[in-house]
Amino acid sequence: MSNNTSTKKNPLLNNPVVKAVGTQRAIAILALIVLFVFFSIASPAFRQYSTFVSILDASYYIGFMAIGVTFAIITGGIDLSIGTVLVCSSLISGTLATKYNVPILICLIVGVLIGAFFGLCNGLMVSVMGLPPFIATLGSMMISKGFGSIFTKAQSVTWPQSSQADGWFRNIFKINVATANGNIMIPTGFLLLLVLAVVMSVILNKTRAGRYITALGSNKEATRLSGVNVVKWETLAFIFSGTFAGIAGVSYAATYSTLLPGNGGGLELDAIAGVVIGGTSMSGGYGTIAGTLIGVFIMSVLKTGLPFVGLQNQYQQFITGFVLIIAVFADVANRKKNSK
Amino acid sequence: MKKKVLSALLSVAMVATVLMGCGSAAEEAAPAATEEAAPAEEAAPVEEAVAEEAAPAADEEMLVYLVSKGFQHQYWQAVYQGAQEAAAELGVKMEMVGPATESDIADQVQMLNNAINLKPAAIGLAALDTEACLDLIQTAMDSKIPIIGFDSGVPSAPEGAVYANASTDNYAAGELAAEETYKLIEAKIADATATVRIGVMSQDATSESIVNRGQGFIDKMKSLVEATGKTVSVEGHDKFAAKVDGANVVIDVAVPAAVTAEASATDGMNLLNKADVIAVYASNQHSGEALVNANANLNKLGADGIIGVAFDSGVVIKTAVKEGTLVGAVTQDPLSIGRKTVELAVAAAKGEAVADVDTGCQWYTADNMEDPKIAPNLYD
Repeated sequence: MSNNTSTKKNPLLNNPVVKAVGTQRAIAILALIVLFVFFSIASPAFRQYSTFVSILDASYYIGFMAIGVTFAIITGGIDLSIGTVLVCSSLISGTLATKYNVPILICLIVGVLIGAFFGLCNGLMVSVMGLPPFIATLGSMMISKGFGSIFTKAQSVTWPQSSQADGWFRNIFKINVATANGNIMIPTGFLLLLVLAVVMSVILNKTRAGRYITALGSNKEATRLSGVNVVKWETLAFIFSGTFAGIAGVSYAATYSTLLPGNGGGLELDAIAGVVIGGTSMSGGYGTIAGTLIGVFIMSVLKTGLPFVGLQNQYQQFITGFVLIIAVFADVANRKKNSK
Repeated sequence: MKKKVLSALLSVAMVATVLMGCGSAAEEAAPAATEEAAPAEEAAPVEEAVAEEAAPAADEEMLVYLVSKGFQHQYWQAVYQGAQEAAAELGVKMEMVGPATESDIADQVQMLNNAINLKPAAIGLAALDTEACLDLIQTAMDSKIPIIGFDSGVPSAPEGAVYANASTDNYAAGELAAEETYKLIEAKIADATATVRIGVMSQDATSESIVNRGQGFIDKMKSLVEATGKTVSVEGHDKFAAKVDGANVVIDVAVPAAVTAEASATDGMNLLNKADVIAVYASNQHSGEALVNANANLNKLGADGIIGVAFDSGVVIKTAVKEGTLVGAVTQDPLSIGRKTVELAVAAAKGEAVADVDTGCQWYTADNMEDPKIAPNLYD
């Protein structure tokens, strides 16, 4: 009964589309559209194809991190190490490529594996040793930050330029086709992001791994008592998180060329904000990859769009904070109404 | 059980690294120690020297302690190399430290504090922030430790604390960049019927070198343009701003919120996207690389498009100059900066009179990159 009254009062909830995608995601999609329209009206330069590609460029590394960390968050945990693991893995694999002439393909794989290794360590610390995820990943955040600097002797690493022979790996994320009318850019990274998002979404919703990860996020003890190997599945969630940080490292190198040791702290918060805006519950047990991607695009549209209307990136941080709070509050308020 | 042992081992190894990592903030010996712990990793020149120096020194060898802006950019590696050569020639011990990133002002202050506590014969300082180090500079002066500024000076230091500076005359270097840029945009400014814009990408608004390179460029550009009877407005960051309404030329200064590749690239993209922009000047390696990154999607830089001018070198900037994306850049002489810093420090420690040394700067383009006077200053 009370459900009905609240839906009557709120026309938004009556909409079948909104019902299908969930309130918070509906709000997030709406916010994304509003942002796009607003920036397009406010700045003619924003309406260019190159801007669209730039938004995608800025969304790859956040997007990959966010897909991975969605799993850690669904278990009710958190992974603070992904930002610095991104930089660490890319610093190490980039050093192998530039200083030791290791073939690029192997470097890319090594980069992803380093991410996976950090994920494994995080997972074991949380599931076997029983450390709170916040603390365990705070530790590995510092470790990865420090190790990246140690390995590179605190010097920046510049991945091969696209004009160099080894620069082909950039085509994974963006192919430049020279035509008579100039360069045409094909954002192949977007395809990769979508494919991996679909794969992880299937894993989350349609496989045992995904169901157990979700279950242990809502009630770990009950899941354990029903005979599920929670250690295994919780560890797996963190391995996903770390692996995707490694993939994010590759995309970051392809987009920004130069990795600075000591940086990376703070990138994870962009990804986590994207996940939360996308409707994943910080207390675990619920989350979707599609929502995460929408949240990520809100982050990257803000990042790329605000300078077009004359606001430097300190305003971006300021405004993103509000978007985050409003998005989550809207969801909390709706749930309260519905549960009354 | 197996899993427990494995995870315990992993975590012990990790915890150990953390502990060492934390220690490094307080004492410079830690990076060297961790370096040795890392297997199959050849010892770098930096760590090697640090390790030697970190051993309790009982002999009377003179210690020169350099606090740099960090090692992130290859530029600092060249400075370090010069300093090492001079130290070897003069028979002194030299140690060089620096914070993890060039945003870490507090860490650098702490390093200077540690340096003073070590009571070296002299300290070299490349300050990230001209104000943050003032108290400690006073302390160094009170303990009679001479300070030599390098790369970036401390203009507001108490009289007599900084004995001399070994650096590029950064203001003059900025002026040089402005003169060379102006040659290429003179016609465009003269022919312009509407406002035209010149972008300036500045990594920060706190360090002497970056601020002066920006200021030198802005002042020179302003006077060159104003000499033709046009008006100039300086906008963007408050540190540089001198707004004039309805000016013919706008100099637009962008300073990122943090020194990260993505923040600076966004700044660059924003400048390149403004319809009236005719040139962008990036005042150090970091900003220059960000400008090249920003151009990747827009493809607007070039001799026929927006004029891009950078500072220093490194693979990205060298390639961009070679390929014509950037029309040119100003290079400093980092080897000399390192060398002169140690020479000045030793002289000051011995009580000899020292004076500022301008290590010079040069304009390079695709045409003169191989010139024997310039090539040695271009590092990868």
